[in-house]
Amino acid sequence: MKYLLLSLLFTLSAWAQTPETKGKVIYQYKKYEKFDMGNLDLNGELIVPGEVSVRERERFKINMDLFERKKTNDFKTSDAQSLE
Amino acid sequence: MRYLTLILLSLLSTEVFAKKMYEKLEGKRYYFSALNIFFKEVSVRNVTEDDVEVLDRLLQHTGIEVLDGYETEVLAKYPTGSTQFVLARRALKEKKFSRSLELIKQISKSHHFYPEAMFLKGQVYGEQKDINKEYQAYGECYNAAIKRVKQKGYVHYFKVLSEICLSDRARTKYDAGKLKDAVNEYSKIPKNSYKWPYLLLERAWAYYRLGDYNRALGLIVTYKSPLLDTYFFPEAEYLASLIYYKLCLFKDSSAIIQHYYKFYRPRYVQLEKVLRENKNSNTFFYNLMFRPEKQKAHGEFVKQIVVRLKKESRFNFGMTSILRVNHEMKLIKKNEKTTTQNLLMPHLKEVNKNMYQRLNGLVKVEIFNFLKTVSFFSSELYKIDLEILSKSKDLIYENKKFISDRSRGDLGNVKRSPSEYFWTFEKAFWADELGDYSFALKSNCQTIERTKAKK
Repeated sequence: MKYLLLSLLFTLSAWAQTPETKGKVIYQYKKYEKFDMGNLDLNGELIVPGEVSVRERERFKINMDLFERKKTNDFKTSDAQSLE
Repeated sequence: MRYLTLILLSLLSTEVFAKKMYEKLEGKRYYFSALNIFFKEVSVRNVTEDDVEVLDRLLQHTGIEVLDGYETEVLAKYPTGSTQFVLARRALKEKKFSRSLELIKQISKSHHFYPEAMFLKGQVYGEQKDINKEYQAYGECYNAAIKRVKQKGYVHYFKVLSEICLSDRARTKYDAGKLKDAVNEYSKIPKNSYKWPYLLLERAWAYYRLGDYNRALGLIVTYKSPLLDTYFFPEAEYLASLIYYKLCLFKDSSAIIQHYYKFYRPRYVQLEKVLRENKNSNTFFYNLMFRPEKQKAHGEFVKQIVVRLKKESRFNFGMTSILRVNHEMKLIKKNEKTTTQNLLMPHLKEVNKNMYQRLNGLVKVEIFNFLKTVSFFSSELYKIDLEILSKSKDLIYENKKFISDRSRGDLGNVKRSPSEYFWTFEKAFWADELGDYSFALKSNCQTIERTKAKK
């Protein structure tokens, strides 16, 4: 049984390492392409150069809870300590 | 000589001579020495009414700081106004409010510490959240202090105390949310008072919470006056930036934030280095206070902080005590024989050392607290910066913009009560105008649609 298991394992690992045999792959560099931008015809609104255009939407708002002085305890304490 | 000292010491232990001794010392104005001998002598017998009187008299010359090292049980033996005051203060710190009030009640109206005892009463009621009684106690403190303000040798003490009590009355109103009352109370503090520059910031907060942003900005700008160049508060910069943010004047708000980082960051590093390198020294900060050449070595900023600290009452009290001890030591050295010197000097040296260390510690703590404030408001300003960024993005995504890029002032925006003066700013600060400035800005928060350019 032990030998049977071992031989099964070896066989499986041997299959795993065998590369898939396909047709020969030929690698080629991309050929030079030329675009004439002036001749391109695009549909849509023309926006002034430099104008930021975004899709209008409501963003999730985070409230930072900015410090606003509600109490003056620290001032009171500081003055009291100044007399000690 | 040794025998003579021994005889003198043995004589000191006998009641009659010891009493004569501290009375003699008091007569020669050796108050610190007299106090020491007094405690040594009275501790072994019952306290009489005369003892209580003597102790009170001595403490008026030495100050009550010297009692810091004495245990509560020891002090409780002497029912004087001074010791009752010290014990009431300790009880307050230990949160024993009823005990503190009980001790305060025992202090007579004519006693030197009565005004400060009323101040203490206000603090106790403050802790108990009894606003009406707190306000009333500060009023009693003010009235009692102002009556004594011409008392020789205590002019500064009673003046500062009266100003603090008046300030705390305003603060009580502020804390209770009665902001108009608070503003009225703050305005009762005269411009030539010691507390006035500090209270500009608090008044600015009161105006801010009342929604009068222009008046708040006007108060903050007062700190830019050359007369107040040693009064710089990170919180004032923060409040100005916050107000500009609330008025949607983001560029102005950002400019303050940038200035804050540019101004405080290098100075923070410098000050933090001074603190770190000398944190264990018992003399460095004291010397920094009183030796200008040391201040210069650490730059203008350290010097300005030190100048401001020196104006605080506790340093004045501390310095006065040190000068008195030094004076007593000089007199003893000059006038007394070696045996008496040997008897009195060790205690005086000890008192002197303790006082130096106390002042040194106070400066250290003040610098530490200042650094903490700089760092706290640095992070709060960072939050404003993020809010500005977020709001600016919101505008872009909503395809909107503020009504004006930069809103400028208009006299129509100035709110003014009949008691508030009005001058236009002519590119110069005038002493009598300080604290009466108001900006005239209009809120820029109204938004309009961005126009799209079409083909």
